[in-house]
Amino acid sequence: MNAEALRALLPLLVLAATPLAVMMGIAVRRHHGTAMALSALGQAAALAATWSGPETASGAGGALLIADAFSHYYWSLLLAASLAVTLLGYGFWRTSEERAEEFYLLVPVATLGSAVLVASTHLATLFLGLEILSVSLFGLVAYERGRAASLEAGLKYLVLSSAASAFLLFGMALVYAETGALEFRHIASAAGRPILLIAGAALMVAGLGFKLSLVPFHLWTPDVYQGAPAPASAFIATVSKGGVLGLLVRFFAQGGAGDLPGALALVSVIALASMWVGNLLALLQSNLKRLLAYSSIAHLGYMLVALVVGGPAGAEAATFYLTAYVATIVAAFAVVTLLSTAPREAEWVEDYRGLFWRRPPVGAALSAALLSLAGIPLTAGFLGKLLVIAAGVSALLWTLVLSVAVTSTIGLYYYLRVIVAIYSPASADEAPRLAAAPLAAAALAAAVAAIVWLGIYPAAVLDAIREASASLARLSS
Amino acid sequence: MYDLLWLVPALPALGFVLLALAGPRLPRAAAAVVGVGSVGASAAVTLGLAAIFLASPPPDHAFTQRLWTWMAAGNFQADFALRLDPLSLLMLVVITFVGFLIHLYSVEFMRDDDGFARFFAYMNLFVASMATLVLGANLLLLYLGWEGVGLCSYLLIGFWYKDPANGRAGRKAFVVTRVGDTAMAIGLLLLVRELGTLDIAELLRRAAATWEPGSTMAVAAAALLLGGALGKSAQLPLQVWLPDAMAGPTPTSALIHAATMVTAGVYLIARTHVLFELAPAVQLSVAFIGVATLLLAGCSALVQRDIKRVLAYSTISQIGYMFLALGVGAWTAAMFHFMTHAFFKALLFLAAGIVIEALHHEHDIFRMGGLRQRLPIAFWAFAAGGAALAGLPLVTSGFYSKDAIVWAAYAGPLGNGAFWALAALGVLVTSLYTFRLIFLVFFGEPRGEIGHRPGWAMSVPVIILAVLSVVAGFVSVPQTLGGFHPLDDFLAPVLPATGHHERGGFTEAASQVLTALAFGTGLVAAWMLFLRRRDVAARIAASPLGQAVGRLWREGWGFDWLYERVLVRPIVALASAGRGDLVDLPFEAAGRAAFALHVAASATQTGRLRWYAAGLAGGSLAAVAIALFL
Repeated sequence: MNAEALRALLPLLVLAATPLAVMMGIAVRRHHGTAMALSALGQAAALAATWSGPETASGAGGALLIADAFSHYYWSLLLAASLAVTLLGYGFWRTSEERAEEFYLLVPVATLGSAVLVASTHLATLFLGLEILSVSLFGLVAYERGRAASLEAGLKYLVLSSAASAFLLFGMALVYAETGALEFRHIASAAGRPILLIAGAALMVAGLGFKLSLVPFHLWTPDVYQGAPAPASAFIATVSKGGVLGLLVRFFAQGGAGDLPGALALVSVIALASMWVGNLLALLQSNLKRLLAYSSIAHLGYMLVALVVGGPAGAEAATFYLTAYVATIVAAFAVVTLLSTAPREAEWVEDYRGLFWRRPPVGAALSAALLSLAGIPLTAGFLGKLLVIAAGVSALLWTLVLSVAVTSTIGLYYYLRVIVAIYSPASADEAPRLAAAPLAAAALAAAVAAIVWLGIYPAAVLDAIREASASLARLSS
Repeated sequence: MYDLLWLVPALPALGFVLLALAGPRLPRAAAAVVGVGSVGASAAVTLGLAAIFLASPPPDHAFTQRLWTWMAAGNFQADFALRLDPLSLLMLVVITFVGFLIHLYSVEFMRDDDGFARFFAYMNLFVASMATLVLGANLLLLYLGWEGVGLCSYLLIGFWYKDPANGRAGRKAFVVTRVGDTAMAIGLLLLVRELGTLDIAELLRRAAATWEPGSTMAVAAAALLLGGALGKSAQLPLQVWLPDAMAGPTPTSALIHAATMVTAGVYLIARTHVLFELAPAVQLSVAFIGVATLLLAGCSALVQRDIKRVLAYSTISQIGYMFLALGVGAWTAAMFHFMTHAFFKALLFLAAGIVIEALHHEHDIFRMGGLRQRLPIAFWAFAAGGAALAGLPLVTSGFYSKDAIVWAAYAGPLGNGAFWALAALGVLVTSLYTFRLIFLVFFGEPRGEIGHRPGWAMSVPVIILAVLSVVAGFVSVPQTLGGFHPLDDFLAPVLPATGHHERGGFTEAASQVLTALAFGTGLVAAWMLFLRRRDVAARIAASPLGQAVGRLWREGWGFDWLYERVLVRPIVALASAGRGDLVDLPFEAAGRAAFALHVAASATQTGRLRWYAAGLAGGSLAAVAIALFL
């Protein structure tokens, strides 16, 4: 391993070292702030390391991993999100009776899993990364041991995630049986339309679709979002889904799944179903966390449209949409966190009635996040949707594009419903008070700034994404 | 100096912006300075330009200032370009100068109004729009100004919006003129499609080159533009809005609904006269409309009780004269009458404003009387303005301008004996209703208390306009009385001279004598009926026939009645039928369907792990099936 390879993999190494450091820190002194600071520092250092990533480092990870521009872009996105979740966690746990130090241990471990996922070029690393992510998530979701809902959510996630992993493993086995290969590019070079390969790819999509909470593997999503502590929900929505989506984009481009007509048809059907079902489920939802869960189903459906388009344009659209979505969801959950004081979380839409008149900046920030989710111009979400629709139109996917348009309109209804509540006259009684959490507030401010910045001047980010997508195509050719 | 042209619309526009933004916080004095000063500066620039134009005209008697490209699509381009030529200069001088006088008058007239700054903001916006209208080098910019003055007219008619009737009057004006504007917009689109440009000079050149006289396209284009002109200038059949427009403050009536905006239709036809010459049938219909309007409106003016409504019908009637002039091809006569009418009609409205203010907002002329000694300034203003309106021979401007039209109605390119006879009859009617008004208001028994007496700000504009009403006629004196016509020479580069054809026997001098006789008859009849023997007038009015005719005339020949039944009620009925929102049904159904689907989908969220796991397994099976078989 030469120095260049080391530098290419530096973010992963720093990120892997972070939980160790946090663990040692806890062993020396069990203190909330110290644990959080160590974890945040480690993640920030890893994030900084993605900055100086070399152009190409094909040899760095051998057959298992690749640290190309695509990996680096996703790493920086995932690390930014996990750092934001860490800051939210500090705001969330500071009023709690629970011991919260291990939360800061689990976040970097899970992020490591996600980071391995997006860089994997081999089915073994894929599975390894996914399981690192999943196992840490069980702990994160069920972290509030004292609360039945949290435990229930953790248990459901454990059982269903394991079942999904079984389907994924079975799919991999079928693929291996047909092609005799585990490396993506070798799988891709296997010709023909063998039935086992297609069935294997379909089962892999099913296993990964569970993680992305795509219809029909979505049933767990609202229960887990609602039961998990708000920062953990934010983590699932951003880091976990971002990692799996990045992997899927890479697998479709480099693993040859994008050349299988059956797999594309499957993804199209899943995308359609996710857009419709997700938006319809959210329509009259009165719990904000469940609403965001349902809306995530729909948003992943939109991203799949870009996946169906394929090629650099599709990868670009999917990646930008994800970037916008991550910023937006961080902002939304930051507001939930700021308004939650353990043991009561501000999860009902009613809790937000008159928020703007009580806390204008926070109300405006949540409005910005909801407008971005709805895809209103001048926000990141609008541009994401624009890129997806443009990519879909250029590939003549009219059914999917029309569905994006129509279901976005349906989505407008429930986002505006929350916005109406935010600007309604305040109800004086029982309104949740704002927690004094400067770090979480900083994360919120950064996320809102990102939403507006991406919505108004996305050129810099788009350039980076274009480069990342290009690196994806280079290797596959 | 010509480069300052853009200031003429820009200064009032700036005044509007200032007053609109800071108006409510400005003290009245400051608002007045901004409101009057901006129009005054604009008038000063215009007069400076006029002086230079007269001394040394630009090449081809036209100066075009291209400010920026407004819009460009394909090979169509519209510039923000202003064009100064004799026609637009004449309009501009009248607009800014009379506008300035009326602004000055308004400072005193509106002194106690809560909406003082708002009033001046609208008035400034009006002057800016009107200047844009006449200066626009292309029809699109003209249309911008056209809609701008329409908006200001609407805002100012409904200025006292707390009374719903005023709002209704504003709406009526807006909707009725909109009918014409729509025709005009279609006409513009037609011109763009057929000729590929809206630049007026280029457009007229191409039209003359491509269209045969009387060709379908030329007729259609001219007819559609005429539609716009009829709406704006309140001519048959779109004249119904102007009498109601008197709901606005009196200075508004003077500036917008008498002197300037309502003559925009005359300007439009004169500006595009080439198109009308290519469509003789349409041009002839302009003459027919003009002559019919002038008589119908004149009769209506005879029986009104409201002083402002008399003047409103008189305005419709006088614009009818201008249309008649346009229709028979006497282009310069139309513009001449536009100018003199702007002076004497603005004067009459301002004087009426003094009377109304003095009598505590009394509008009914039958409750006035004997104001000659008590309000001398109003009386002399009315005497000068009324004499000009009725056409007192030799000394008033109205005589010269109207005489030119009456003679052209016979001797103009499209003139004939019938037009002449009806125009001369119109002179009689005009004289009759004018002196009826003067005798009822200023003579007879004094009635009513005198309240406010005009100060200098109201008096000075009235005096200036009174002088102009008398002397402005000497810029075009007919051949029979000496033949002095600088106005016609000035306009010659834009508007062709009227080609009078001799039809032996009847001469211009004879026409003038007969017109003077018509004037005299009207004057004497008014004196008899409304001063000497009012009992006779009352008896005529009380007879069954007199009552029926009076009612018909008072209601403006029943056009409102007719439109109410033929247009308004069916449309309202249609709208109420649509109140059930038939169109909305599919959308509501979509919403309901979404809710129903939401309920169905929610049923799958049981919260039970068994069900979720089954969903996962079933979904995976379905995924394999889809991938294999789709």
